[in-house]
Amino acid sequence: MPEQPNPEQDPITSKSYAAYYLIATVILMATLFWALWDEAWGQRPWKAFQEHWKDRYGAFLNTARSKSATSEKDVEQNPDYAALKQAYEKTYRDSKTQAEEARKAVDEVSARLLAVQSVFTDRRAYVNALSYEIETSTSASSKASKQKELAEYKSKVATVEFPDGSKKKYTFQQLEETYNEIRDERTRKSLELGDVLKPVTAARAKMDEYISDHMVDLTPQQIDGLKKKTADWDPKIVQINVAEANIVDRCESCHLNAREPLKITAAAMTQKGGKKPDEYADAFVSHPEPELLGIHDPDKFGCSPCHQGNGRATTSMEKAHGNYEHWLWPLFPKENAEAGCQNCHSADMVLASGDVQWHTINDGKDLFRQRGCMGCHRYEGYDKEPEDLNSIGQQIKQIETQKKNNGKQTAYLMKEADAAQSNEEANRLNGQAVDLRVANSKLDGRLQQLDYQSHSLMQDQKKVGPNLKDVRLKLNKNWIPVWLKKPSDFRPTTKMPNFRLTDHQIQAISAYIWQSGFTDAIPQHKPGNAAHGKELFETRGCLACHSIGEGDQMQGGAFAANLTRVGEKANYDYLVRWIHNARERTRPYCPYEKKDIGPEDYAKKGLPYQFDLDHSQCPNDGHELQVQNMTVMPSLRLAPEDAEDIATYLMTQKKREPSSYADASFMDDPALKAEGKKWVRHFGCSGCHEIAGMEDEGRIGTELTYEGSKPIERLDFALFTEIAQRGGKDAEPIKDQDDLARLPDGPATAPWYNQKGFFEHKLAEPNIYDQGKIKGELEASRMPNLHLTREQVLDLTTFLMGSAETSLPASYQYKPGDARHDIQEGWWIVKKYNCMGCHQFIPGQRTILMGLQQYQDIQEQLPPKLLTEGARVDPEWLRKFLSNPALSTTDTNRNGVRPYLKVRMPTFSFSDNELRKLVRFFQALSQQPLPYIPEQAPALTARETDMARSLFSSSAAPCLKCHATGDPAHDKIATAPNFLLAKERLKPDWVERWITDPQAVSPGTSMPSGLFKQQNNQWVFAGPTPPSFQGYEGDHRKLLTDYIFQLTAEEQRRVASSMPHAKAAVQPKSNRTQAAAGSRTKAASGGSR
Amino acid sequence: MDWRQLWEICSAPDNVPIVGLIPLLAFYIYLAWKQAHANDQLIAQLEADPAMAKTHHRKTWPFKPGWQKEVHVWPFLLRIEFLAAIIITIILMVWSITLNAPLEEPANPNLTMNPAKAPWYFLGLQEMLVYFDPWIAGVVMPTMIIVGLMVIPYIDTNPLGSGYYTWKQRKFSIGTFLFGFIVLWVAMIIIGTFIRGPGWQWFWPGQTWDHNRLIYEVNRDLPDIFGITSNIAKAIFGALVVGGYYVLGGFLVYSLFRRYMGKDFKRMSLLQFSMTQFLLLTMVALPLKMGLRLLWHIKYVWITPWFNV
Repeated sequence: MPEQPNPEQDPITSKSYAAYYLIATVILMATLFWALWDEAWGQRPWKAFQEHWKDRYGAFLNTARSKSATSEKDVEQNPDYAALKQAYEKTYRDSKTQAEEARKAVDEVSARLLAVQSVFTDRRAYVNALSYEIETSTSASSKASKQKELAEYKSKVATVEFPDGSKKKYTFQQLEETYNEIRDERTRKSLELGDVLKPVTAARAKMDEYISDHMVDLTPQQIDGLKKKTADWDPKIVQINVAEANIVDRCESCHLNAREPLKITAAAMTQKGGKKPDEYADAFVSHPEPELLGIHDPDKFGCSPCHQGNGRATTSMEKAHGNYEHWLWPLFPKENAEAGCQNCHSADMVLASGDVQWHTINDGKDLFRQRGCMGCHRYEGYDKEPEDLNSIGQQIKQIETQKKNNGKQTAYLMKEADAAQSNEEANRLNGQAVDLRVANSKLDGRLQQLDYQSHSLMQDQKKVGPNLKDVRLKLNKNWIPVWLKKPSDFRPTTKMPNFRLTDHQIQAISAYIWQSGFTDAIPQHKPGNAAHGKELFETRGCLACHSIGEGDQMQGGAFAANLTRVGEKANYDYLVRWIHNARERTRPYCPYEKKDIGPEDYAKKGLPYQFDLDHSQCPNDGHELQVQNMTVMPSLRLAPEDAEDIATYLMTQKKREPSSYADASFMDDPALKAEGKKWVRHFGCSGCHEIAGMEDEGRIGTELTYEGSKPIERLDFALFTEIAQRGGKDAEPIKDQDDLARLPDGPATAPWYNQKGFFEHKLAEPNIYDQGKIKGELEASRMPNLHLTREQVLDLTTFLMGSAETSLPASYQYKPGDARHDIQEGWWIVKKYNCMGCHQFIPGQRTILMGLQQYQDIQEQLPPKLLTEGARVDPEWLRKFLSNPALSTTDTNRNGVRPYLKVRMPTFSFSDNELRKLVRFFQALSQQPLPYIPEQAPALTARETDMARSLFSSSAAPCLKCHATGDPAHDKIATAPNFLLAKERLKPDWVERWITDPQAVSPGTSMPSGLFKQQNNQWVFAGPTPPSFQGYEGDHRKLLTDYIFQLTAEEQRRVASSMPHAKAAVQPKSNRTQAAAGSRTKAASGGSR
Repeated sequence: MDWRQLWEICSAPDNVPIVGLIPLLAFYIYLAWKQAHANDQLIAQLEADPAMAKTHHRKTWPFKPGWQKEVHVWPFLLRIEFLAAIIITIILMVWSITLNAPLEEPANPNLTMNPAKAPWYFLGLQEMLVYFDPWIAGVVMPTMIIVGLMVIPYIDTNPLGSGYYTWKQRKFSIGTFLFGFIVLWVAMIIIGTFIRGPGWQWFWPGQTWDHNRLIYEVNRDLPDIFGITSNIAKAIFGALVVGGYYVLGGFLVYSLFRRYMGKDFKRMSLLQFSMTQFLLLTMVALPLKMGLRLLWHIKYVWITPWFNV
């Protein structure tokens, strides 16, 4: 090129590339080493984890070892241990010489065996190989020649050199025999040695057992084992592989301590001098719930079925935890970890392992139900009664068609038979006709069962909110629009959410509700005594569900409404009826005709206007009617005057006068009604309320059964998609301070584009994804603001995150077919009616009443604990009791078992279905078999009866002092049930356990403990025994139990009258307090349960 | 300007080759251009000095005494090739260590990705689908591309410019190649990578790829603009327009060839020329159609019951 100088040297041959090569090669080598490093460590970060683990866990074990050694020494100080040790040493000394001889004999035989073995195995291998060749050779001649070779080989002698120097020659057969002989001899000698050592090993084992029994932590020997394992550890992937469920989890490659038998915290795993636990320390903790791991053995369940994440990934923390874009099942964050339970336990309402309840998920499930989420959102298993009713209706239809067809077919067959050619033919056809008739009768039976079922289901069907057909009878008209504006302004804890209605919508909705309500007259009541009403309200148990007072003053349960301002809204007469029996309906509803049946319908058929559970057939068409209000509120069986008193008291509960509400006469405007109907339907009000004309409305929300596994793309973040993906200081779209306070983790700064973020934001501010969007009235999000607390949002989010379609096989789903299924089903009912507001079912569970101030000093006035209810009571009795807790059809204003309790066991009018489930539940909870076959109590001889009576009435344990006798004067001060109930009610085995140690059965009971002591394998009375017991060999406890089970009213009366102080004992208050405080002397007259 | 969005697009392992493609393409075009320019100057020099043309030359330099007339492949060629091999090895190794295969979640037929993009080398074809019927964009056009490439040796009658870089001697070939490769192929890949976002909508680089974006865009067919409603009339109209394009375009190509490439034109047979002309017009039709669509929202020109163009 002209511009370039023409070089003198040839530019191609003269140019040197050495420098380029040098640089390229150096870079290539560097890349090569980089690749190797990446292969060995970069892609295997768990190796670094394992190195750190060796250091830190080793150091931890050293500390634990010295601690354990100290506590072992403490245990060894114990004289019991010293005795064991002495015994051990003695046996050791005694057997020492004998043991040595035996051991020597074994050693000698072993050496001989070894000598023969080495020759024998070598020759046997050759023989086996040759035999194989013979077996597989194809030609007869080669077979023959090889057989010959084998025979020759076997007959050849081999020399065996024994340890004592002697040499012997054997053919193969002799060799085999000798070998077997010596082997048998060694077994014999070993057994002899074992026999000699037996006492020694036994003594040693006793010592070890003593130590491990008396040490809280691991013994030094166990820790040494762990230390050795740790020190010998080679870097490797630790993997759980469960082929049947396609689980491959390598989590333990980093989480090496997950299953260690010690409790290891992050602080304990922090490097020496390290201030905060680093990522290694966090990874090396032991599983926080070893008990759960015990139930869910990781070798069968792996880790990822519960925790999610990518179990196979080992290349980075993000990958392994599944926290990257393309892994659909990222690890549940720690606070939502219980979401994993839902994967398999979706059929459970209450999750508890032992006495640990899993509150996050349990509360989530409960909230979903109690807050009426299921009113709008279908969720498999929740509120399934309407669906079941529907399917039963279809079955009935099907069977009826079938019956009709069978009838036709029968007639046809008979006709054919008449015209048949032959006798056989006629018989055959007639036979078929008879079969069909039998089939129809079977179908009739089936129909009857289905009718019962639908009767039950009708009864079980509940709504979260009140029946709005009664609105005119029940409410202060002017209050309704104020309430709808923002329910939580009126009642901060209400379940009724805020629908963000416009004033116009409020007017239309209230107009519709008002105008569609019943106008029937309800009985008038005179005002009652408010002071008495207050007392009843506070003592009858209303507070187990309802609360009263606002803010810090609030007392009672959150299950039902807060009644602080009920006086502003309620109509007195309706309130009386409601308190007396909330299930009482104004008019029955016929789902078949889809209308409310009035007296005119009954009159048409000439029937009395009477509808209740026993009169639940529609007068028009005979179909099952809804005869109860669909509320869970039970009847407390109050006297009408008491109901009036309570209602009067409640009517005083107000902050402003009902008359001060602004006039709302627009609610009578018929023009608004039609529009109101549109809005009532639009907002799905009938999901929670019974509303005239809307009984068959479907749910308006999306189904949530598998919401947790909905692809993130299907969750509409609307205008916040970008900021949710990116995080940063503007990542939080919620501006409202109240709603912001509902977010479990506070305002978002990190990216929140995931299921958790979506649910949390949606629950905190349900219309958040409408923000900034231009939407019409009908398009805007209908989801109301449930004014949840931070914890509730967390609970519900956890529940929803766990609501995922699982890839696990069906066998992993917790759907037991045995008694555990009864437990599962029972919890749904227990939770439905808030039984846990009064009763304790799980040790450690707090009831609402327990938390009330008024019971702090009179614990014996609390409802009984049901920890062992199934073991305690006869299931048949329990069924009777649950359906009628008064145990009487006439005298109902009382508790059947414990008349002395002020708090009342209400009548829930359970359906047969629910009664059956509840009885089974209690039996299953106490591992009792069903059906229960009562034990026949042996008849007592006259002498035994005398003895038992003397125990029964002994001054050391005057049973009738506390137990009710049926004598009204005495029952007023009695604090325990009547013995006459025992025979039908209790199980004798339980009674024996109970009178031995009531504290173990029901902690806190005032039934005295220590009545019996064990003597010569018999339980004998601990107090001074009457002289008649001289020479009696039997069990006192059994005797007393048998006596109690045979007690007659007459006998009881006799005993009671012979006990002078039983009647006279009027308990001073201080005495009661003492009893509750725990000084349970035998004389203390506390209550028992 | 949404830098984060831009970075997300550029850094996706799928797109890294395309990001690399842009500077590399520019560099190699520059290199080829430089060589061609030098050669063209040399050719001019040699043409002006026939004596000099008789001596040998190396690269663009005339021989000096002592320069070898011939050099062996080994080591003089292979040492350069081997160096290139080492450098490529380094690049591949670093690439494979730092960028993982762009694997995604298991395919879910109920939930397709948006935007769903072809592998980078097919993005040009995918982009063509926007402008043509699948049958035309997916079958006819690729076939014509392949056939057209195969036919090049038979219609190329220019004997010059073989074995060295030159522009002046092969203006038409090089120009057509640059047009076909850079404009039609590479540019469409770049559009597919950087421009096409969710819903296959047009996003300028730096615009956020908003999945909820709504735009108002109505595409019409050319006959509709002229108020033609009957199907037969539409087919005839379209055939006329397309036919007219080929006829008028053919005349234009013919006159341009005669005028500027007289030598080549004379060497061509009728078949060779008409083939060249057809392929060239078809190639040019693609950006024309793109323009119609992007600028005037015209969907089809020729509508028949069997195919649309």
